[in-house]
Amino acid sequence: MPDPVLQVEDLCVSFTSGGVTADVVRDLSVSLDGGRTLAVVGESGSGKTITGRAIMRLLPRGASARGRIVVAGREMLSADERELRRARGSDVAMVFQDSMSALSPYLDIGAHIAQAVRLHDPSVTRRAARARAVEMLDRVGIPEPADAVRRFPHEFSGGMRQRAVIAMALVNRPALLIADEPTTALDVTVQAQILALLRELQQEYGMAMLLISHDFGVVGSAADDVLVLYAGRQAEYGSLRDIFDQPAHPYTAGLRAATPRLDARLDTGGERTRLRAIPGAPTSLRDAGPGCAFAPRCGLADQVGERCVVEAPLPTVRPTSEGGGLHLAACHLDRLPALKEVAR
Amino acid sequence: MSEPILEMTDVSKRYRAAGGFGRGRKGFLAVDGVSLHVERGEALGLVGESGSGKSTLARMANGLVVPTSGTVRTDGQDIARLSRRGLRRLRRNVAMVFQDPLASLNPRQTVRQTLENVFRAHGETTSTAELAALLESVGPGADYLGRYPHEASGGQLQRVAVARALALKPALIIADEPTSALDVSVRAQILNLLADLQRDQGISFLHVSHDLAVIRLYSDRVAVMQRGRIVETGPSDEIFRSPQHPCTRALVEATPEAELPA
Repeated sequence: MPDPVLQVEDLCVSFTSGGVTADVVRDLSVSLDGGRTLAVVGESGSGKTITGRAIMRLLPRGASARGRIVVAGREMLSADERELRRARGSDVAMVFQDSMSALSPYLDIGAHIAQAVRLHDPSVTRRAARARAVEMLDRVGIPEPADAVRRFPHEFSGGMRQRAVIAMALVNRPALLIADEPTTALDVTVQAQILALLRELQQEYGMAMLLISHDFGVVGSAADDVLVLYAGRQAEYGSLRDIFDQPAHPYTAGLRAATPRLDARLDTGGERTRLRAIPGAPTSLRDAGPGCAFAPRCGLADQVGERCVVEAPLPTVRPTSEGGGLHLAACHLDRLPALKEVAR
Repeated sequence: MSEPILEMTDVSKRYRAAGGFGRGRKGFLAVDGVSLHVERGEALGLVGESGSGKSTLARMANGLVVPTSGTVRTDGQDIARLSRRGLRRLRRNVAMVFQDPLASLNPRQTVRQTLENVFRAHGETTSTAELAALLESVGPGADYLGRYPHEASGGQLQRVAVARALALKPALIIADEPTSALDVSVRAQILNLLADLQRDQGISFLHVSHDLAVIRLYSDRVAVMQRGRIVETGPSDEIFRSPQHPCTRALVEATPEAELPA
């Protein structure tokens, strides 16, 4: 079996400000094979974006990462600037939520893509790089690509801009694509197109994809495996089927129950149903005590007792469905009681 | 049956293009001859893609945007004919909740000042006990009165925004994407809060959202907008079970489900 494209071992990310150091991500371990999509799900303060940035080594000032990150065989945390430049783009590339801020308003679309080509291979001529840009725009479904390369970001719609950003990210055929809320700013019909495009390109290139999202709908239509983060720690990891069919962490089950669905099976004959909300608000690791960060919001913490408050649970192996692969959850409860999907 | 709390008849809004480029002197027709009504005690969901005109339509319902043509009646009164005093009364009756509470609340005012200003604007005085009771009725306790917006979470702030809307006991609340800026686990809390207000206090809602699944669960009736027009309207169960217009169908089909593929 080939090595995974992405390996993260015991990743901790901490911020230092005013002489105080606080972890925002703690003890994160995960691996991802080529051709597969791992969705990282979480809310404010969960550390999902920071984790993506740590893999790219694009952490903001004052942040530092410990542990081990290997992308396509390259140690990212010990790499120097030269190595990083080589890694970014050809080993790992990133697509962000806001396509407008990912593009320079002063450069035409072609220049963005050509620049990405020539940064990685200076021997490519300007003309050839420009031709690659046209090819790539065509590949991501932008009509009249020869004309589109000369256009500027503001002349594109949000969906077309996101396609251009994807072209820029994928032009060097990275082994891993990190997509941080790539469709959150888009209308649903455009979102569906962009997700389909990402899936298609992923299969064609055999690349691994880390899809960062807050939306279980997006996750359900795009992911193979799911990592649920809460307050900077791994709450649950498993195949999409296990996460949806037999969640083992109360937070995962709660998030699902709080997600509205359009599904016609929820038809109630005119009677209104309600979502079941999780009380309280998401926290960050900084505000969490020694116990489980989710305990203050958890309806099941009473069943376990004091242990939830004093001891942070470690991920342990949980039952899987047929061919489900690894399923981990960090909860003191061995088994979740059956939850009704929609509470009244 | 009493008259609807909100009735819009053949309402249009044309924005003039600022620079005169592109769309030219004719401007941009954001809302094109729309008629809709909200019954008393009803929650009407308004869905559509960005640019379909749903926010403009919502803002015309309470006089924040003046229609180019057509009439808007709230509580049976044509708002174009209202005096200044009449408009002020209208705004007691029709309150608004916006998408981003951090942007819609004054960062330099405490929660107490924000709420007090609502009463003051309408020539009323209020006591600390009343303000505390108002806040508690939607969640946050009295200790939030002294806080500034940056000192509260997004969910608690949106509750403050709801408290502000409730302060003068409105008959209709216009909620423009009230939960789009919130975390998933908190979104359900706010949606349930709004549903409680409808059920327990009989407040009517015009709920604008791009999220069909939210609208499906929390609206009695739905109106679908596309390019400034309402293309389909009906009871929410029906609309989502068998969407008729191609635009509605496209929206329903594109909405990703938190479901395993069958």
